[in-house]
Amino acid sequence: MDGLISFFASHHAIRAETVLKRHGHAARLVPGPRELSPNCGVALRFEYAERDAVAALLTANRVRIDGVHSYQPRTDDWNVRSA
Amino acid sequence: MIYFDNAATSWPKPPGVAAAMAECLSEAGGNPGRSGHRLSVAAARIVEDAREGLAALFGADDPSRIVFAPNATHALNLALYGLLRPRDRVVTTGIEHNSVMRPLRHLETRGVEVVVVPCGSDGSLDVQKVEQALQRGARLLVTTHASNVSGAIVPIAELAAVARKHGALYLVDAAQTAGSAPIDVGALGLDLMAFTGHKGLLGPTGTGGLYVRDGVSLTPLVRGGTGSESAYEIQPEFMPDMFESGTLNVAGIAGLATATRFLADLGVEAVQAHERQLAAHFMTEAAAVSGITLYGSGEATERCGIVSFTLADASPSEVGLLLDESFGIMARTGLHCAPAAHRTLGTFPAGTVRFSFGWFNTSSEVDTAVEALRQIAAWSANGAMTSPGHRVTEAQS
Repeated sequence: MDGLISFFASHHAIRAETVLKRHGHAARLVPGPRELSPNCGVALRFEYAERDAVAALLTANRVRIDGVHSYQPRTDDWNVRSA
Repeated sequence: MIYFDNAATSWPKPPGVAAAMAECLSEAGGNPGRSGHRLSVAAARIVEDAREGLAALFGADDPSRIVFAPNATHALNLALYGLLRPRDRVVTTGIEHNSVMRPLRHLETRGVEVVVVPCGSDGSLDVQKVEQALQRGARLLVTTHASNVSGAIVPIAELAAVARKHGALYLVDAAQTAGSAPIDVGALGLDLMAFTGHKGLLGPTGTGGLYVRDGVSLTPLVRGGTGSESAYEIQPEFMPDMFESGTLNVAGIAGLATATRFLADLGVEAVQAHERQLAAHFMTEAAAVSGITLYGSGEATERCGIVSFTLADASPSEVGLLLDESFGIMARTGLHCAPAAHRTLGTFPAGTVRFSFGWFNTSSEVDTAVEALRQIAAWSANGAMTSPGHRVTEAQS
């Protein structure tokens, strides 16, 4: 997944993951990269190509986001959910 | 043992609640929203799962409008102190719990005008009288959803409409009804609703919260760390973080989430019907007990699962002690933290004996309790009740 959404608060990060998965989008919570996610501990990886649909879905569900980024980490090792 | 004190705290809890709390402590030990590691994320998932479940149960379309608090009292304080300023007028009723009245009486010393609309001697509230009080202008109307003494249900739908008509915000104290009476904050148009997790919601103590409608502006009661906007020394201004400073009771919230799922599967309507049926059954059967006075409306649809009564020539505390020691029946006696409600019913300062039924109570338990009251009434008629405790024991044998 080459997209990353940063959030103001973990409530919104967790909720974003729930909403996206419920609607069939790939989504994965990760520790927020410091340079993109200064506000809370977690960020959400997703498919950057789906960004318009994802942004619309989050807005419709009143999930507040900080920013949407194209992001390629050096490795996938830091994924908290597959470890 | 028969537990009839569900209005103080519900017992037992649904299956899985204790296990969810234990699992939280052993498997999800991180601090929610503070870190990105798996234990922190696991804790945050528990909190957000609970928030979503509560939002669905209460008809709130946005879970971020549900703020966690240690209990309904804390949530009520957040709403009242967050909203009311000197020279504001607040309208309330004559059947409120001290969790509303004590903050209001304190705010009164800071220049808030408090108007108390009296209730009928059966604890019923006349909406027209509330409207008259609101016509003079008010910042806030605050009422309970159900009296914790008489069990009288307050018509919150009508009150919400009246408050809206006169430009007042409406705060509902749902301590006695959240989880045991259907509440749809969206359909009702409530502005604020305080709830506790450990009564009708069947969760553990130390949980509760406040629903805050989008557009209602409150000042936080507590400020501090939230895990968000950590670079700034000023409080965040977004939901729910602005009202959730300090680490939440994650284990308690884990139990609450499980209890909320249990209720959602069961249907709150089913719980309400069961508790009303028990209350109606008790009122019918107990009416024949010699010397008993039952308080509140006899209409099942006008009450929740709470009934209050007194026995002639026996103090409520004596009756409560005998119910416990001789019959294994747990009831609450006295003033129930609601002196205003007892003044309304005419039972101040002696108070009443209160039975509060829950989902796990049965009709046969009610029958056992009525039989116990018949026995206690007989002892009372024989003069045993005014004697020292050892003579009560003699009378029993």
